[in-house]
Amino acid sequence: IPEMVSPAIALAFLPLLLTLIIRYRYYFVLFYRAILVRIWKDCVTGLTREERAYQYILTHATPGDPDSILDAFDVWCSKVEFISNIGPKKGKILDRLLMEQSPLTVLELGTHCGYSTVRIARALPLGARLYSVEMDQRNAAIAEKIIRLAGFDDDMVELIVNPSDEVIPRLRSDYGLERLDFVFMDHWKKSYCPDLQMLEGSGLLGKGSMIVADNVLFPGAPKFLRHIRKSGLYEWKIHRATLEYSKGIRDGMAELVYQGIK
Amino acid sequence: HSINVSFSTVEENEDSTFHKEHERERPRGKRRNGEREKKKRGNGRRKGASKEAGEGEEEMQVRPEKRERGKRRRAKNDQEAKGRERDEEEQTKIKSAKTTKTRKKEKSRKTEEEEGEGESEERNTKRKKKHGSAKKEEKEEDGGKRTVKEKAQDVKKKKHKKTSEESSEDNEEEDNEEKEVRPESLSPEELEKLKEAVDERKKLIQGLRGKPWPMKKKLVTLRESQEFVEKYEGALGKGKGRKLYAYKVMMTKKWMKFQRDFENFKTACIPWEMKIKEIESHFGSSVASYFIFLRWMYGINMILFGLTFGLVMVPEALMGRPYGSIPRKTVPRAEEASAMDFAVLWDWGGYAQYSVLFYGYYNSQRAIGWLKFRMPLSYFLVGVGTVAYSYMVVIRTMARNANESGVGDDNSFNFSWKMFTSWDYLIGNPETADNKFASITTSFKEAILEEQESRKDDNIHLTRFLRVLANFLVLCCLAGSGYLIYFVVRRSQKFALDGLENHTWWERNEVNMVMSLLGMFCPMLFDVISTLENYHPRVALQWQLGRIFALFLGNLYTFIIALMDEINLKREEEKIIKFNITMWEASLYNSTVSENSTAPPVTIHPADVPRGPCWETMVGQEFVRLIISDTMTTYITLLIGDFLRAVLVRFLNYCWCWDLEAGFPSYSEFDVSGNVLGLIFNQGMIWMGAFYAPCLPALNVLRLHVSMYLQCWAVMCCNVPQERVFKASGSNNFYMAMLLVILFLSTLPAIYTIVTIPPSFDCGPFSGKKRMFDVIHETLESDFPAWFSKVFSYASNPGLVLPFILLMVLAIYYLQSTSKSYKEANVELKKKLQTVK
Repeated sequence: IPEMVSPAIALAFLPLLLTLIIRYRYYFVLFYRAILVRIWKDCVTGLTREERAYQYILTHATPGDPDSILDAFDVWCSKVEFISNIGPKKGKILDRLLMEQSPLTVLELGTHCGYSTVRIARALPLGARLYSVEMDQRNAAIAEKIIRLAGFDDDMVELIVNPSDEVIPRLRSDYGLERLDFVFMDHWKKSYCPDLQMLEGSGLLGKGSMIVADNVLFPGAPKFLRHIRKSGLYEWKIHRATLEYSKGIRDGMAELVYQGIK
Repeated sequence: HSINVSFSTVEENEDSTFHKEHERERPRGKRRNGEREKKKRGNGRRKGASKEAGEGEEEMQVRPEKRERGKRRRAKNDQEAKGRERDEEEQTKIKSAKTTKTRKKEKSRKTEEEEGEGESEERNTKRKKKHGSAKKEEKEEDGGKRTVKEKAQDVKKKKHKKTSEESSEDNEEEDNEEKEVRPESLSPEELEKLKEAVDERKKLIQGLRGKPWPMKKKLVTLRESQEFVEKYEGALGKGKGRKLYAYKVMMTKKWMKFQRDFENFKTACIPWEMKIKEIESHFGSSVASYFIFLRWMYGINMILFGLTFGLVMVPEALMGRPYGSIPRKTVPRAEEASAMDFAVLWDWGGYAQYSVLFYGYYNSQRAIGWLKFRMPLSYFLVGVGTVAYSYMVVIRTMARNANESGVGDDNSFNFSWKMFTSWDYLIGNPETADNKFASITTSFKEAILEEQESRKDDNIHLTRFLRVLANFLVLCCLAGSGYLIYFVVRRSQKFALDGLENHTWWERNEVNMVMSLLGMFCPMLFDVISTLENYHPRVALQWQLGRIFALFLGNLYTFIIALMDEINLKREEEKIIKFNITMWEASLYNSTVSENSTAPPVTIHPADVPRGPCWETMVGQEFVRLIISDTMTTYITLLIGDFLRAVLVRFLNYCWCWDLEAGFPSYSEFDVSGNVLGLIFNQGMIWMGAFYAPCLPALNVLRLHVSMYLQCWAVMCCNVPQERVFKASGSNNFYMAMLLVILFLSTLPAIYTIVTIPPSFDCGPFSGKKRMFDVIHETLESDFPAWFSKVFSYASNPGLVLPFILLMVLAIYYLQSTSKSYKEANVELKKKLQTVK
């Protein structure tokens, strides 16, 4: 059989291959850690990733101490497996914003396993209330456990187990909210834009309300960015950082301050 | 009592100034009165308009005068406090001045009012005197309180004076305007004044840009002075002269307009100017500089094409012997069947090979056609001329750029440079502006970090190690690519010996494919490796360019060396064939002689005549193939790497799990350095191969034309502005220097082959000669008078040539050293200027 392509031509593609591998090595690593390792561990242990994380935290963190829980999370996510939390670096930015704002009513979309909930609750002033929305039942159960483990009670953190697009219209009627001082978005990147529009429509945002959205560059929420750029309702900026628990992938966190219709 | 001292000092100078002061005030007062009278007559209609127009002037001219006057006034008042005797003296002076002034005036109508005004002035001074005497008394009474009270009085007086003066100034303005409206009634003096005013306005308009005023004031002043000039320019001159003047003004305006239109027209005539400007506004000047370079290259290639096409290809096609008349112009019998196949034509064989496109087709006939066109000479001179022209243009451009760039040291005032000069004012696109903004901030951050690091310097060993490692990796890569090309070329020689027909298209085009692919992919690898080194981006870019340069050069020279091997093979083959042909001819002759001595010689069809391999055509073909495959690779990369990627990113983004636009594949950036280098090496190949394939410049013109449109389109439709926006101004001469090096390196092998290797015996314009440049000797001997060739032979004597070359070298050395000293002097002067500042 005559060869279709000579080996020399195939060899000429070697530099390209090397370039791709070196340039996108972080993505390959991420792919390996977030997907391959997860599938492998799921098969081996029979537990979900969140349950494994909870087990680790239970054995490695001090109950009642949010700092130690966050540290344990960071160690597990960077050393053992990968969970897309906000991470320590972007978490610091979030902490700073919360300190500056000291909001009384906070809405969190996307609890996942409660890392960011603990982080926000830790930074809140006395008497503030945090509403955390999670769609997935099992994740919510674990998040509940972790939040309680960190020492935050029902009055401070309220977990709402429902999809965000159902929760937002009912916030005013069911939970008696008048105004949201701070909104943190870290759920499905596709729902950033519709949820934001829903929040605008609900009238819960007042002048000076702050909205922070994580992962707007990677995996990315282009529609969301386009919306905030075009709507003119916000003063906004993007804090550029790297993806959590990874060095080379660029990511950003959007900070929006609602200005209202001028 | 320091005040007293100052008084006395002022006193000494006061006489003259006070005198003048009064003299000046006189006519003003007079005019004011005259104005009043006019108003009474009901002529104050134009007052409003004229006032408006005059405002600018008033602001300009009156201010310093006012200040001066204020000073004088103060001094005057102080002086008045001194005593009565002085006042009396002054009054006499004033009176005398007044009388002289009045005498000068010729119009009797105004004298009365003047006198009246004079009286009022007198009264005024008397009043002042009274004040002065009062003050004197006070001074005598109480020395301590004196100063305070005096000051208070001063202020009052000043106020009074000011109001009166302002009104007079206003009136003066009105008066002026009134007069200017009717130029016929103006006296020559006034006309002169008006002329001066107009001239002053014109000067003001010219110098307005440099004035340290707020923009609003500038605009207002500009508009007003333009109105003024327009209104009163025509009023100058009388009767016929005035008409002529108006005509002149109109013509100059029209001429200016025509010039402006002509400039616009000229800009519109520059090819692709609008396209490039548009790209510049979107992508900044560095991307635009590539397209400007491309356009410049296109211009040069047009001229090369004009030379080869007009002086070589067209004469041969029109006046030379037609196709099929002699063996070198006929497809051999063996190839005739497939000579028109597309595959053969695509490889530049068949009919393409036996045409004016290649060296082998040209006949060695000394003069062709009714013009007696010296074809071989023309061929040789065009070959030399294209190279000479290229050298000239490149060096001239370099010299011009060198003048523009000037002398400057990058290291000092680093932050000031960044602060004040990093913005690219040609950017007109918000996204690019955002990028530029981000890049400036990052450059600031980097500069600060660099500054910190230069003070720390702790991790220098690691950095050094990484740099050495990076260079080692790059060298490995270069060696690998060189070996791969060498291997492929050797293999292709083997294929050629086997006969190309037995191999697939891939194997036949292996060399070009591998060269193009390596040239495309290795720079990417270098780019990745260079992140190890942690250089400043500008330095990193230079390293990158140097490495790509080395790669391309290595590839090209490997190719040429392989080609040389092939040439030697062909020449050996030629020897055998030459021997065979003589045998064949002899046998043919013998057979004809033996059969019938009186019969006419047997005519053999040119397609059947055996012929040599003609290595020149082979070299030309190789270069043409290389150019074609290079072009194809460029275009295909453009279509796949840019267009297809952009389409995928754009439309897959609706249904993908991460943001394709901002994240992983994203849109591609325009790679300026890679593209420029590609262009430069492409040109190098043209210069190398143009002698053996006259069609190369034409092909290149076509390629550049297409790439202009294709790349413009691709940039605008599928690329995003660079994240790091570089300024282009610094790198232009760098590219030119590269072009010069490439020009030299590409002419080297061409000249080597021309000088050392004898031309093929049965093809090309130099067939039958020992060396290609013998054509010059031949021409000199047969076409020029004998004395000329004699002179030439003397001139080409080494005894004369060597001293001449030596002299030239010395001259170059001298010029270079003087230019260096000038440069140093410049730097010194600059330093001095800085220290003076």
